[in-house]
Amino acid sequence: MNASPAAPSSDAHAIVVEGLTRVFRRQTAVDHVSFRVARGRFFGFLGPNGAGKSTTIRMLTGLLRPSAGDAWIEGARLSGDLIALKRKIGVLTEELALYERLTGEEHLLFAARMHGLPEAEGRRRAQELLEFLSLADERGKLVVDYSQGMRKKLALACALVHGPSVLFLDEPLNGIDPVSGRVVTDLLRRLCARGVTLFFTSHVLDVVERLCDEVAVIDRGRIVAQGTLAEIRAQRELSGSATLEEVFLKLVAADVRREDLSWIG
Amino acid sequence: MDRLIAIVGLRLKREARAIAGSRGRTRGVLLALPALLLFSGASALAAFALVRLASRTEPELLLPVLSALATLFGVTWALSPLIAGIAATETHDLTRLLPYPVPLATLVLSTLVANLLQLTVLAQVPPLLALALALGGPQRFPFAFAALALGLLLVVAVGQTVGLLLHALSRNRRLHERAVFLGIGLGVALSLLPILVLSRGGSVARRLLLTLLERDVFALSPFAWSARAAVHAGRGEGLAALAFCGAVGLALAASVGVSTLVAQRLYRGELDVGEVSTYGSGRARFRLPGAIGALVEKELRVVWRDPRLKAVSLSGIIGPLMVLFVLGQGAAGIGPSQLFAVAQVAGLGAVGANALALERHGLGLLLGFPVDRLALLVGKNLALVVLRGPVIVSFAVVGLVFGGPVVVPAVLTLLLLTQILASAADNYLSILFPIPLPAAGRDPNAPISGARGLGAVAMGILAMTAALAASAPFAFLAWLPQLLGEPWLWTLTLPLALAGAAAVYFMAASGAARLLQRREQDLLARLRGEE
Repeated sequence: MNASPAAPSSDAHAIVVEGLTRVFRRQTAVDHVSFRVARGRFFGFLGPNGAGKSTTIRMLTGLLRPSAGDAWIEGARLSGDLIALKRKIGVLTEELALYERLTGEEHLLFAARMHGLPEAEGRRRAQELLEFLSLADERGKLVVDYSQGMRKKLALACALVHGPSVLFLDEPLNGIDPVSGRVVTDLLRRLCARGVTLFFTSHVLDVVERLCDEVAVIDRGRIVAQGTLAEIRAQRELSGSATLEEVFLKLVAADVRREDLSWIG
Repeated sequence: MDRLIAIVGLRLKREARAIAGSRGRTRGVLLALPALLLFSGASALAAFALVRLASRTEPELLLPVLSALATLFGVTWALSPLIAGIAATETHDLTRLLPYPVPLATLVLSTLVANLLQLTVLAQVPPLLALALALGGPQRFPFAFAALALGLLLVVAVGQTVGLLLHALSRNRRLHERAVFLGIGLGVALSLLPILVLSRGGSVARRLLLTLLERDVFALSPFAWSARAAVHAGRGEGLAALAFCGAVGLALAASVGVSTLVAQRLYRGELDVGEVSTYGSGRARFRLPGAIGALVEKELRVVWRDPRLKAVSLSGIIGPLMVLFVLGQGAAGIGPSQLFAVAQVAGLGAVGANALALERHGLGLLLGFPVDRLALLVGKNLALVVLRGPVIVSFAVVGLVFGGPVVVPAVLTLLLLTQILASAADNYLSILFPIPLPAAGRDPNAPISGARGLGAVAMGILAMTAALAASAPFAFLAWLPQLLGEPWLWTLTLPLALAGAAAVYFMAASGAARLLQRREQDLLARLRGEE
């Protein structure tokens, strides 16, 4: 990996990414991606399927080694001490890696302990999170018996239990019912208001439009636009009323077929 | 018929592409093929020779023995998913075909026909040909073979029925897990059976088997009917042969009928998933302190609640006890030296435990925690010591019975010190040769045979040798009083041996932790099959 010579020291930025690249065999999944996210911002990271969103998140959270480039999360360098970096972040990956043979409550207590929280504090936070995410009645069930939505909420609780200053959330609202979705988005807003930086991917563009202060769009491994919605509209000379969905389709040059099928009348 | 041919063709094409598309699977098939041919040829020769011999010397035993063997074959084949963890007959997932207007019976039949063309089934044909030739000679060979082939069809059909029943059972996780646990237990028991039968202590089992053969009890088994039909066909007893063939046909129809019925209930969702139970009425807690304590407790809970891991953990007791059992059959019996040697070998069994890679999906989560990597490895290794508790207890009991209380501390020290050093060596193996994850949508805990490659085998041997070499000086300290005939010396040598082994363990584990820290991202990528 090419180490960046200068560590960009910026008090204002929670995430600084420089030339991040990942090549799988001979296929470039993420291609020299660079961006900055200011502290306390709700940052949306958008892109079509296979664009490189999850790969970028896995690299930024220390779960995948970049082929080139570097990043700094709250000043902790990706190519440096990963344990120091992992103390500052909370991660919700798309795959929801959970221990299926622990109960929901055990899982949360385990996560709290592994983050070094004192027993009583870990227990208090775990109870509050279980209540808040409507998992209290299911606390004694094994994770293997949880529905997809419950797993997602538990994984989110695990990402939050230690009070991280940067949260990476890969499709956090997928599979969650509308009521829980509202609870989760309210919680994320409150976290953001308290100075937590949120790095958020979602295919639900109206949710992104409502929540995010700023977005970056990645397509085929490259960042094709970054800024507030208004800034991107201005950069692309789109009308001021263009929705994020329209902007997104324009940016990724989506081919929306409108031809009729011959055998449908 | 067109749809049947299309579905069978589709399955065969998918399987061929799956093999061709994966280097690992292609290598696996290429490696398995000669072994399968060899096994098939050897079985054919053995079947021919033994049946000819039995026909001449013990003709009255031919029917009961063939019936017993056919029953054993049929039962092990049908229960192979439970006994061996690999289904000899594949139960295809019909879900994707259900939206099409195809009768369910056609779908069930398509699976049966596709299974007949599997390599494992085709490998049974040469032994059946040889058996038919031995039973019927050149003249009656076709009739004998037809009867035996019908029997093979029945075995494959019953295998399919059992597979569907297990699939149905899997709708209820608890029932399914109990079945898996009992199945693994049954597999271990069956694998031990030959040793017990051949040893002195197996005289009861031998007598029981002989009684069953004398009474021809296996004649009641449908798997035996085709063998009996073939014997009668070989002897020119046409009516009896036809009667048995008719019985096999009925059993076959019944099996396909049951399969269709189960499939119907299974895919309509009529089979209940059952109640989901909760663990413990009180609040959950981790009793052991710190990250290491939480990790050890997590491991123990996960293993105890996972039937496969629990069965594997408990069956670890079998190997050393069997060795001691076999040694005990000898004229000299079991002395302290034998106990020491077996304890050392049992301790080395920790190589291959591969604690990190068995985390599979959980490893990403575990490595996401900001915990010192040495603590992670120590936690994992400590959990292994606790999980091997039954082995430690069994050695304590065996030591007490055969060597008296004086040798027990020495036996346990040898077991523990070799185990912790083997764990230290295994950490390297676990980091360098992780087990790849199954493909998306597959059972994340399903075993992937051979996935670690030949390099891992070589590394395993190297790790075991390293563990043996590293433990040798400390093992010598434990042996010394026995060699000198001065048991009091154990009060000095045993603590010294344990302390020395612990120091070496921490040095080795620290090196492994540094390696893990450097390679954890590569390890995760390899587990995901991305490298």
